[in-house]
Amino acid sequence: MQRQRSLLILILVLIIAAITVIATIPIPLGLDLRGGSQLTIQVKPSAEIPQITERELEGVKKVVEGRINGLGVSEPVIQTVGTDKILVQLPGVNDPEQAERVLGGTAQLEFRTQKPNTETQLFAFQSSRAELKAKQEEFRKSKDKAGIVKNQEDLQKSNQAIAELFGSTNPPLVGKYLKDASGQPTQQSNNWNVAIRFDQKGGELFAELTKNLAGTGRSIGVFLDNELISAPNVPIEFAATGIAGGSAIITGRFTAQQANDLGVQLRGGALPVPVEIAEIRTVGATLGKDSITSSIYAGIGGLTLVLIFMVIYYRLPGLIADVALLIYALLTWATFALLGVTLTLPGIAGFILSIGMAVDANVLIFERTREELQAGKSLYRSVESGFYRAFSSILDGNVTTIIACAALFWLGAGLVKGFALTLALGVAVSMFTAITCSRTLMFLAITIPALKKPELFCPNLPTSNKAEVAP
Amino acid sequence: MKLSINKSRSLWWAISSAIILAGIISMVISWQNPTIKAPLRPSLDFVGGTRLQFERDCTKPGNCDQPIDINIVREVAKAQGLGDSSIQIVADKGTGAENGILIRTKNLDREQRINLQNALSEKVGTFDEQKNQLDTVGPTLGRELFTSGVIALIVSFAGIIVYLSFRFQFDYAVFAIVALFHDVLITAGIFSILGLVLGTEVDSLFIVALLTITGFSVNDTVVIYDRIRETLKINPNRPIADIVDDAVNQTLARSINTTLTTMLSLFAIFLFGGETLKNFALALIIGFTAGAYSSIFIASTLLTLWRERNGQTSVVVSAESIDPSAGN
Repeated sequence: MQRQRSLLILILVLIIAAITVIATIPIPLGLDLRGGSQLTIQVKPSAEIPQITERELEGVKKVVEGRINGLGVSEPVIQTVGTDKILVQLPGVNDPEQAERVLGGTAQLEFRTQKPNTETQLFAFQSSRAELKAKQEEFRKSKDKAGIVKNQEDLQKSNQAIAELFGSTNPPLVGKYLKDASGQPTQQSNNWNVAIRFDQKGGELFAELTKNLAGTGRSIGVFLDNELISAPNVPIEFAATGIAGGSAIITGRFTAQQANDLGVQLRGGALPVPVEIAEIRTVGATLGKDSITSSIYAGIGGLTLVLIFMVIYYRLPGLIADVALLIYALLTWATFALLGVTLTLPGIAGFILSIGMAVDANVLIFERTREELQAGKSLYRSVESGFYRAFSSILDGNVTTIIACAALFWLGAGLVKGFALTLALGVAVSMFTAITCSRTLMFLAITIPALKKPELFCPNLPTSNKAEVAP
Repeated sequence: MKLSINKSRSLWWAISSAIILAGIISMVISWQNPTIKAPLRPSLDFVGGTRLQFERDCTKPGNCDQPIDINIVREVAKAQGLGDSSIQIVADKGTGAENGILIRTKNLDREQRINLQNALSEKVGTFDEQKNQLDTVGPTLGRELFTSGVIALIVSFAGIIVYLSFRFQFDYAVFAIVALFHDVLITAGIFSILGLVLGTEVDSLFIVALLTITGFSVNDTVVIYDRIRETLKINPNRPIADIVDDAVNQTLARSINTTLTTMLSLFAIFLFGGETLKNFALALIIGFTAGAYSSIFIASTLLTLWRERNGQTSVVVSAESIDPSAGN
């Protein structure tokens, strides 16, 4: 009895927690439900880079991020997929034409020289650009679409103005001469540096460039896709020869994060790998809304029918199962919210199917209880062995489903993954609710004298049986 | 009422074989069909290409007065060098008005697409940008999707065999997988027929559906196996045919109710759910039905046959001599 009570309290606590979670954390909707475009970018190996590694992909991703952020889209999602693909999701973008335009082609990294007498201008431009960037961040947070677009134009102008302050070397010192770049810690302080290394030709060009700039107070302009990403100065001691030998270190008060970011940006910009758009998918925003509402109505409709069926067929236990199912739905939804599951159409399907599994667990238990009742056991014993005997089939059935889900999750991609995740989570939660919730509520019910009637559990029992059980 | 499934097992096998055979024949025909060239009609997901959907903006006055003439659309496509595209006029789901155009063609780049769109809207009316849909899939990506789906299927089969051999016995696991193949084949076969007759395409969601069927069908089989295992433990000397018959009968109400409740949700999605999920729900309806059938009539009868032939344990001289139909 004691155990029963503490379980009941646990269930109540979980319900309250679930409701709080659902109320506070919204579940993000996938692209197929909210409308938008998804582009899959394939990174192609080239003669110089015959094999795309994780390190290179990371670099290309940085370049892609830079280009997408330049579009002024709110909440873009950019992630690497597998070994050579990058997925770009642009919610709310109906026509990905712009994105296609900026995404194709190889990154343009270039080291340029600052023009004479532009130091004050550069300083002013850079600080106003920093302000614009901070503003952009705020707009992104508040999801102010109009603000983002407007601000993006200003940013573009600002970038253009900055770019005009720099000139190319002759021949231009472009990304293909850069061999490597990476962030590294300094020995003296907590600050980080970025080490860069050129090939021979690049080293010569770089020496020339730094010789001209050393001690003048003018900066090297490191441009990625025509946007200034770093503007280091060259100390005066290099005025005679420039920074020779092809290696250099960009110092500054970098944090580890900043140094690594810059390193990855430089590497990505230097990569001579062409990127190609392998897949484009768009779902119109209205279309997304169509399918979400109709699918949700369908799901709720189906669920209601199931609830009604359970009560009619299984009577009191059916009612208890319905309560357990509602608890199940709450808990699963809360789990999705907690784990940050993005809800897609197949995800909803997975959820609805997992409800089917949850029902199955209850059906197994109640059928078993009925059998035991018909075999002449007492109500309490029947309920108990119903749960006990049904457990092994529930366990085996659910584990096999989870095995299938795991295969889908690891090997599948995109939508398939979402489906596998929601189904597996649903099945896991259903094991808990069918066994704990239904069981606790059932035992609670049979302590209430008014409910302690076998005919509430199973119709058409032999009369002898009834007499035996009635106290 | 008691169902002696082992009595008429050749009937059950015949039914299944007939359906599977029909499916396989349809797959062969599809394969020979020059427009399909695959056992099932593949969607863009697997073969690559571009699919464009436009819908006219009917809020503009006069824009939708004339119905769309499919021949004009064909001519426009031809003028753009896309004469071999498949073109359909689609009706709006809400109003039934035929204001949409669906074009499936080879991979188009940005410019080709814009040219086509502009040329079309000149002839048939302005399109509603909000409702445009564009899907482009590169051919390699489609192949990868297919391979990863098939690998996922094989891996999950292997996982299930291992788990069931561990929890039950190896022969149980093998027949569960036979039942799985049965369900997957029936579903694929029926979709192949649908592809031939109605032009139904299979997309990546179809692979998801097959995998779900796998999970659920094994679940059904396991419930019956669980009963067989339990009875065998209590009474190892009974003939296997009796035990299996009993196990199936004892779990029959459960099998029916569970299938019924799952079907309620699925039919709801099939009838009222979003367009994208309709075929998905249909695949599951077919697969789950086949799954319920195969666990009752195929997996258990095969297990019986196997155990009768090989003798279950040391005890089983009697199993050979007993007519399976005698058990009651």
